[in-house]
Amino acid sequence: MQTNPLEFAVQPTSGVPIYRQLMDQVRSLVSSGRLKPGDRLPSVRQMAAELEVNMMTVSKAYTRLEADGVLERERGLGMRVPEATSRDAAAAPKASVAERQQELKPIADELATRAWQLKLTDAQTLDVVRQVLKDRKS
Amino acid sequence: MTDAIISTQRVTKTFGSKAVLQGVDLSIPAGAVVGLIGTNGAGKSTLIKCLLGLLRPTSGSIQLLGEDPWNLSASAKSRLGYVPQIVKLYPWMKVRHVVAYTSAFYDSWDNDWAETLIDRWDLPREHRVGPLSPGQLQKLALVLALGYRPELLVLDEPVASLDPVARREFLRSLLEVCQDEKHTVLFSTHITSDLERVASHLAILKEGKIVMFDELDAVKDRVKRLRISSASDLPRDFSVRGALRTEVTGRQAVAAVTDLDENVLNEVRDKWQAEVRVEDLNLEDIFLELHHG
Repeated sequence: MQTNPLEFAVQPTSGVPIYRQLMDQVRSLVSSGRLKPGDRLPSVRQMAAELEVNMMTVSKAYTRLEADGVLERERGLGMRVPEATSRDAAAAPKASVAERQQELKPIADELATRAWQLKLTDAQTLDVVRQVLKDRKS
Repeated sequence: MTDAIISTQRVTKTFGSKAVLQGVDLSIPAGAVVGLIGTNGAGKSTLIKCLLGLLRPTSGSIQLLGEDPWNLSASAKSRLGYVPQIVKLYPWMKVRHVVAYTSAFYDSWDNDWAETLIDRWDLPREHRVGPLSPGQLQKLALVLALGYRPELLVLDEPVASLDPVARREFLRSLLEVCQDEKHTVLFSTHITSDLERVASHLAILKEGKIVMFDELDAVKDRVKRLRISSASDLPRDFSVRGALRTEVTGRQAVAAVTDLDENVLNEVRDKWQAEVRVEDLNLEDIFLELHHG
């Protein structure tokens, strides 16, 4: 399976460099199991075109992820998630739900602040979240 | 520096008694997409004109594509594309005529690419240049500068007169041009958000000097804002080593540093029993911090 580039979202005006945002998101995809061993990532060119960012930015993210062992380079085919060797698989279990929820917390914090400013109730706020999740599935 | 496409050594430019450039040192590697930012009047256009040989520096030296820009050879000129801030074209020519006329000067003219750009930017081929809007004129100038796929593209405030939609379009095309890493791009702007997607490098011009030049990612990685809250009141003259500025209000202080250093953080934590929070800064924040006071 190839990841659709639309499943990535970068904020160019964030203080976090775009390459690090990409690295974080690939890490999340791998630790959650969304990306499985053997899955291929979009080519540098594809990803850069889709996200409208500089190719060097994407290439830097991929190279660092390769150095960290999150991705491996397949000659002529691009980057993919490495097949886990049995020892690695034992050493690096998939992130638990709690761990993954933890990663979502900063964004939820921001959401909560904005919701408070807009004087929305919890139910009204969650409605928005539910609607967005539903729209994405359809 | 053999792979530098542009390099300058202590370049100054003085108009009468006004020193606009005050010792610019810059070295732009091949393949870089450099965003040159500075406030109005910082000297961006003057620097670009000196780099291109349109103005002669008062002192210092410049190499452009390995040559002295003041005596640029025809072959170097054909590897160089330039869009000035104010575009001047023959007003009586039709758009397609200007394109045909310009193409004749360049061996490397890529007609398909030029036509693609004309379509993408909805340029009216049969209209005369005179009545075109500033935005259309800017786009036409871009077509003329991109049409021969120059190795080095220099743009002075290229998107200043474009609306947000056209600006986005333009930046997308610029990215397309840069895909091939043989292209080096230098563009000046004062709109920092334009830079963040496109640029690989950032050059900040302040008071006639380059005060920062580095990869954009590296700049974001190392320029940080520290929020310090101490257990007791901080002295008025409290400052953080290496900080651009420190602002103290009671137990709190805010400091912006250009090189985040764990040692400095620990020093502050130990000395003032303070909590230090490190904040990421985007380009606009960084730009503002550098121009603070």
